[in-house]
Amino acid sequence: MIELIHLEKRYPSQDGEIVALEDIDLKIGDGAIFGIIGLSGAGKSTLVRCINLLERPTSGRVIIDGEDITNVSKKRLLQIRRSVGMIFQGFNLLEQRTVEANVRFPLEIARVPKEEAKARVRELLELVGLSEKARAYPAQLSGGQKQRVAIARALATKPKYLLCDEATSALDPNTTDSILALLKDVNRTLGVTMVIITHEMRVVDSICTDVAVIDNSRIVESGKVADVFSYPQSEIAKELIIPNLIRSVRSAGGKKLRLVFNGDVSDAPVISGLALDCGVAVNILYADTKNIDGRMFGHMVITLPQGEEDAARVKRYLAQKNVSFKEEL
Amino acid sequence: MLLLTKLFTQLGAEGFLLGVWETLYMTAISTAVAYCIGLPLGILLCITDKDGVKPIVWLNKIVGFLVNILRSIPFIILMVALIPVSRAIMGTSIGNRAMIFMLIVAAAPYIARMVESSVKEVDKGVVEAARSMGANTFEIVWKVLLPEAKPSLIVGAVISSVTVLGYSAMAGTIAAGGLGSIAVTQARPSNAQDVIWLCVALIVVIVQAIQELGMFLAKKTDKRVRGKNRKKTEKGEQS
Repeated sequence: MIELIHLEKRYPSQDGEIVALEDIDLKIGDGAIFGIIGLSGAGKSTLVRCINLLERPTSGRVIIDGEDITNVSKKRLLQIRRSVGMIFQGFNLLEQRTVEANVRFPLEIARVPKEEAKARVRELLELVGLSEKARAYPAQLSGGQKQRVAIARALATKPKYLLCDEATSALDPNTTDSILALLKDVNRTLGVTMVIITHEMRVVDSICTDVAVIDNSRIVESGKVADVFSYPQSEIAKELIIPNLIRSVRSAGGKKLRLVFNGDVSDAPVISGLALDCGVAVNILYADTKNIDGRMFGHMVITLPQGEEDAARVKRYLAQKNVSFKEEL
Repeated sequence: MLLLTKLFTQLGAEGFLLGVWETLYMTAISTAVAYCIGLPLGILLCITDKDGVKPIVWLNKIVGFLVNILRSIPFIILMVALIPVSRAIMGTSIGNRAMIFMLIVAAAPYIARMVESSVKEVDKGVVEAARSMGANTFEIVWKVLLPEAKPSLIVGAVISSVTVLGYSAMAGTIAAGGLGSIAVTQARPSNAQDVIWLCVALIVVIVQAIQELGMFLAKKTDKRVRGKNRKKTEKGEQS
């Protein structure tokens, strides 16, 4: 487990101090795929670099598997870093080394015997599906292939944790999906705990189990993805998670109701039910729902009828149908 | 009309060949030794920088200052200044041995700056990745910075050796040999234009050769060149 306790990071600068991280408390459980989402400049990258101490926090503690790594010896820190792999937005491959030599690099650092390293490299390239590119150089690979090499390299020393810093931000949507699938696969089959830094909602949505929203150097919200995504509390979380919904709510006048479907409701037609059973017609301002195995997920915004009575009737109906809702202005 | 001067015939093929040999010999030895000093200095300058792998600002400042001082003295003045130093260290202040010593003193700081700029070109992200894998400073230098900077280092070495070759032309002033010496101390006083121009031609040929060879090596070692390597693997895949 990775625990961040009261983490703070400040940089000196010409016009006073810059606060990059403030009062960060996070627990990342084993086996989780933990997303940290925020806008650029929010402090995400600094946060992930504090986990393996590529950046030293100004104060606070980083505890990995019970060990406070902020005050271990230099030698021990280098050892710990071998159990925490990392991949980057820019891939950061050694351009003058072949694919297999790149994957071999961390094994050389860890002084793994040559024969063993060779076998391990082969195994890893197979895992990421690049066996036939073993002797190619990074310049000959596509972005997605480069990130696969980086993943193989990061996993070479069998780390327990993998830190991903905007790992898919430089890739096109299709490639992003295939890299995310690979990461999910690595998490499932090898049990590697992942910390995923991203500004893309869909990355969190498609593979993360937990999520923390970071804004202005602070964690403003965190929890299970299903919970945070269904009921985002902070303004920034709403901006990130349901930007279109927020926009449509703002642009329309009158009272509105936000309906949240988090799988508790079957796909019975709720809106036509409203019209037929309550005799109230409503406008749909926004809808983004999906049907997974006969269950509804997502959000919808409808206008509330003017009359108090009608409005109450709508709410009663929804409560009866187990749809959670919230009035939005 | 084209009559050769007395000096030209006196020197003969043998004289010019000796000149070529002495120039090459002085340049090669000085550049090689200066590189052995300049390379570690350049790496030191790069990694101890405040944004470097191992920031040690005071050391960086001191070394940087010394390098700058040596770099700012024009070579001809440096030579004069080094005469007593050369006598103390090399046992002589004239001839090829003294010349090589002076060339080393002049070239080492130059090479240090060349190496520094080559190594600084290496992508910071790659260094960060190596650090994330638990690499120590030595491993980062040896396994990341130097191999990644190799093509640029080769180009720097070529430029440095051409500079040293240029300096070596002043060898005549302290009775060392080489083409420069022939042109300046022998041909100039007797106004033997043919000798001067042959020396110029020979130096141009030597510089061209060093340049071409160096660039060929740099290109060959650089794996970032996309088209060339791709063609090679495609061929490999077909067979």
